[in-house]
Amino acid sequence: MIQRKIERKEDLLDNPMVDIATYLFLEDIADKQGAAGMNNYLMSLAYSLARSMPEEEYTDWDSFVEAIVKGESILSAFEKVNAVSKYCMVTVESPFLRGWKEYTKRIGEFPKIHKDVAEYYNSRTTPTAIETGDIIIQTYRKAAAEKITVEGKKVNVAHIATVSPDGSKKIAPEEWLPILLEKANITRTQMNMILRNNAGVWIVYPTQ
Amino acid sequence: MLDIALVSLIQDMSEKAGVEGTIQYWIRVGENLAKRMGKEAYMGWPSFNVALREGRTAFSIEGNVAALTDLAITDVDGDVVGYIYALEKCVFEPTILRVRYSVGQLPRADKQIADEYNITYRNIAVCNFCIIHVKFREEVAKNITIAGQPLEALHLANRGFTGDTKIDEENLNKIGINKEYVRSLLRNYACVFALVMKGARLKGEVSEE
Repeated sequence: MIQRKIERKEDLLDNPMVDIATYLFLEDIADKQGAAGMNNYLMSLAYSLARSMPEEEYTDWDSFVEAIVKGESILSAFEKVNAVSKYCMVTVESPFLRGWKEYTKRIGEFPKIHKDVAEYYNSRTTPTAIETGDIIIQTYRKAAAEKITVEGKKVNVAHIATVSPDGSKKIAPEEWLPILLEKANITRTQMNMILRNNAGVWIVYPTQ
Repeated sequence: MLDIALVSLIQDMSEKAGVEGTIQYWIRVGENLAKRMGKEAYMGWPSFNVALREGRTAFSIEGNVAALTDLAITDVDGDVVGYIYALEKCVFEPTILRVRYSVGQLPRADKQIADEYNITYRNIAVCNFCIIHVKFREEVAKNITIAGQPLEALHLANRGFTGDTKIDEENLNKIGINKEYVRSLLRNYACVFALVMKGARLKGEVSEE
């Protein structure tokens, strides 16, 4: 297992051309269908990605969290996740950081549509997205969570805050925040401390 | 994750817009990518080949591209009008491996799109990503001038993840390179292409006339 991880690290770094092509592909869709159409595509691809992942079951919550932190759960298949409490997860680095850096390096500034589509998503789904990638990963996390069972119960995901590669933040609305932080078992100050050097805070918890 | 999302997207797209619609999207992405990368001008082939080796040209986005300077392409007068280039690693290979390890297998749309492209456009694609790649190179070549002359890209051969190969014999004939020689290059490289001065009187084209 350790050996395979070493091989994977060397072989699996995504190519900048593929990453940039994806962004341009999405911009092409937005040109034709606007923010609403692009949002539908982003959510749809995240659902279809989650659908193609295998189901998971865990006998206890600790082994589930351990699988997430080790990158062995479908919830952490695309990102490095740390657990700061029983239910509170922290994404260390945006899974879209490499693509974001390659785009800004080779193409230039991102067009406004990437933020517009996030605003569209925020107004209709969950208000914690800053740009295109957040719609994909947040929709994916929620859909992937539906394929996981812990101690016989389904799990849910809710998002507390997101930090963009450029440092801008999007935190859940004031009316939701106290409930989310209570579930996460962290204070507002602790959340802000986490946001200094991480890409996102979210919770995963069992259904009642 | 973006590349994995892309693979999901092509499956989704081909179900919604059809395989042909996805090919059209891909071709436009190739064009747009080249357009967004801007123009380049070089004094001569040596300066272009150095820029390529140092990763400074638009072609460098693909990864390590080797300039096979022993394979100069000459025109009917014997002047050097181009070279053969080879990409060391397919740009889509890391994505294929990542999909393999995180999801399980590539969606069937990958092969469907490549097959449709091979039938309706040009028989050169070994995976769906070749479509953007081919278009990208053709458009980038137009944006690069060497000694004031724009370039033209000629695709010669591709090797897929499972070892399948596609060779464009028409382009090989234009520049007068042996098919078996290009096939031997595919042992070490993922794809092989030629860059020539646009409008050059290539030996193969002249003999066809």
